[in-house]
Amino acid sequence: MTASTRSGAVQAEDVTKVPDWTPEDLLGKTTFRALLFSDDYRLIALKGILAALMMVGLAGVAALTFRVELAAPGIQYLSPRPYIGLVTLHGMLMVFGFVIPLAISVGYYMLPKLLQLERLEWSWAAHGSFWTLLLAALLLIIGRPDFTWTFYAPMSLRVGGDLVWMGYLAIILVGISEFLAGLTLIRTVLAWKGTMRDLPLMGWAMGTEAILLLVSTPMLCLVGFLVLTDWAGLTAVYDTARGGSAVTFLWMFWFYGHPAVYLPLIPTIGVLYTLLPRFLGRPLWSKTSAHIAFILLLVLSFGVFHHHFQANVTVHTWVQRTFQFITLMIMIPSTMHVFNWIASLWQGPIPASVRAAIPFKFMMGAIFMIIVGGVPGFLNGQISVDTSFIHNTYWLPGHFHAMFLGFCVQAAVAGIYYLYPYFTGRRYNQTLANIHFWLWQFAIFAQIMLMYALGMAFFPRWVVDYLPLSEWSQPQAWLTVAGFGVGLGFLIFIVNLLVSARSGEVVTSDPWADSGSAAGAEPAAEPQRS
Amino acid sequence: MQQALGLSGDLAMMFAIMVALGIAGIVALMMALFWPPRWRMTYRVEVVGVLVLVALGVFADLNSASTFNAYEEGLSNEELSGTSIDLANQTEFDRVITVFAYQWGFLFLDEQGRASRSATTVKPGERILFKILSNDVIHGFNIPAARLITEVDPGGMRAVWIRAPDEPGKYLIQCVDYCGLGHHQMKAWLVVEGESEDHADGGGMDDMQGQGS
Repeated sequence: MTASTRSGAVQAEDVTKVPDWTPEDLLGKTTFRALLFSDDYRLIALKGILAALMMVGLAGVAALTFRVELAAPGIQYLSPRPYIGLVTLHGMLMVFGFVIPLAISVGYYMLPKLLQLERLEWSWAAHGSFWTLLLAALLLIIGRPDFTWTFYAPMSLRVGGDLVWMGYLAIILVGISEFLAGLTLIRTVLAWKGTMRDLPLMGWAMGTEAILLLVSTPMLCLVGFLVLTDWAGLTAVYDTARGGSAVTFLWMFWFYGHPAVYLPLIPTIGVLYTLLPRFLGRPLWSKTSAHIAFILLLVLSFGVFHHHFQANVTVHTWVQRTFQFITLMIMIPSTMHVFNWIASLWQGPIPASVRAAIPFKFMMGAIFMIIVGGVPGFLNGQISVDTSFIHNTYWLPGHFHAMFLGFCVQAAVAGIYYLYPYFTGRRYNQTLANIHFWLWQFAIFAQIMLMYALGMAFFPRWVVDYLPLSEWSQPQAWLTVAGFGVGLGFLIFIVNLLVSARSGEVVTSDPWADSGSAAGAEPAAEPQRS
Repeated sequence: MQQALGLSGDLAMMFAIMVALGIAGIVALMMALFWPPRWRMTYRVEVVGVLVLVALGVFADLNSASTFNAYEEGLSNEELSGTSIDLANQTEFDRVITVFAYQWGFLFLDEQGRASRSATTVKPGERILFKILSNDVIHGFNIPAARLITEVDPGGMRAVWIRAPDEPGKYLIQCVDYCGLGHHQMKAWLVVEGESEDHADGGGMDDMQGQGS
């Protein structure tokens, strides 16, 4: 990147020094032992990214296996138990093992670099988070729980084999892992010596993420623990057969569960705020707007969880009404982020070299998908609409696949393509990356639209078999095709990463230097205040 | 919800708002990417956008609440609070059906105390009150043709009502909450009496009726 362009990016992030973006063959220089145990923040990030990619591989195989089963009505080759086991594994590994850790790991790399720190603070917690998560994944795979990722009690107390306790234990460990990640992030953000206003937006994102993690994950641990002790007969908090309350479970679980959906979202918002100005070669439209949006998102995210079980109760109390209103209002900070990105794109030329850059393409794909996945939130929040056709129909997987896969994963993949030269000292294969990009755009969009269509046709979630209705069976068949499209795109992505690590073009200077230079550095003035 | 059958005007309007918001966002993104003119936004544009969203949120909140309140007008306080399972004292409805949701099916009990599994029979256009109970796990209760979804927890009761379809046939009732390995089997039928009982063309979401018979 040219000095002037670099200057623009620096002004955008207001860091005191320019981060060192010199590529190097980090992967080639390191040993396996160092990768696992080193305190180098780059290796901690790399370790997390590699583990997340392995998790998504497993979760993806699980998804494709049950996708084939769902391609036609009737039971083809999966009986209910392995089917639900695969659905559970897919959901848990995708959410807890892939999307959240991937987004956090990309942040592990960028945060110290952007904050001009030598290391990730309290790296012991990042290590602990990694190993705890790995243990949780192992327990999930061995225990094969069949209670879905939301493990609603008392249902979750009455399913599973002898090893189902491993599933409960895995949930507790996931909570511990995420809490530890929160400790690392908050300590690293607090190591920033400048003012909050000057803190790079990745710092704002990770600070917000850390607060969410530290506040919400103890509840996940508690819920997992109480389910485990209920199952063992030591307590009866959720077991209704022994005087417990299922509604208590709902309140406690979703206190974690809805802030949890922002856990992958917020770091990827930070990735976009970091990469976009760097590629465009000019500052973001407004840091102030981003600050306000982060604060609003943090505050409101704890007041929306009730919408996950609003079909369980009616709307005539002020508590339910309050939750509904906050759920509707949370579209404001999300829209402010999207507005900021679009305004940043709009305020200057976008050179052809930037448009051709794969990370930029994936960022644009992510912004497109957050619009497609975000606007249905306007319907989801309304109790009258939710209890009309949304609650637990395929509309919801459409919504969260758009947000998780379409936005979070694509933004994180943009981050991986961006960071690739800094880990390997080489470029990825541009052709393969383009195929990956376009395959995903079509496949993910098709997947989401088909899920929305199935939701409007009242297709229920978690069923292995369904009625042979044409409005169900045809979208399901195409959904399977789209699922394989996503899987093929991921396979091409992995092949590209592996092959290019050995045979990709060697880069010695900043690989993105040309991307934004043509645009030149725009003045860093804030927008006019009205 | 208020009409309890078919796409209501409110729902269609909310859909239209959602689609308009989505299209506005996508058009803005595409213009920012591909339309040559460039300019710097002012805060005024963002403030206006936020105010529009706040207004839409308030409107949606009020609309949702009024729809629900109107829907619940026919229900007593005991029914709303989930404490009443009295079958006799219902005058506003043509029929009161108590539904026991269990792993994995539905048991229907009419006002005369007659029980039937997996199907309940009503007359066209009747106003029907369902009192839904569960004693094992959390279950969902969905009648697609009525665009109605509710959820009931063990020990609780939910009261919902619908106006039965005018067209005779069999209409799907299904659980939408994962309730164990037999969740996919947890279906039943609302049978509307009449001459034509089968509609197996399956050509639209209002044709859930007649399947699986």
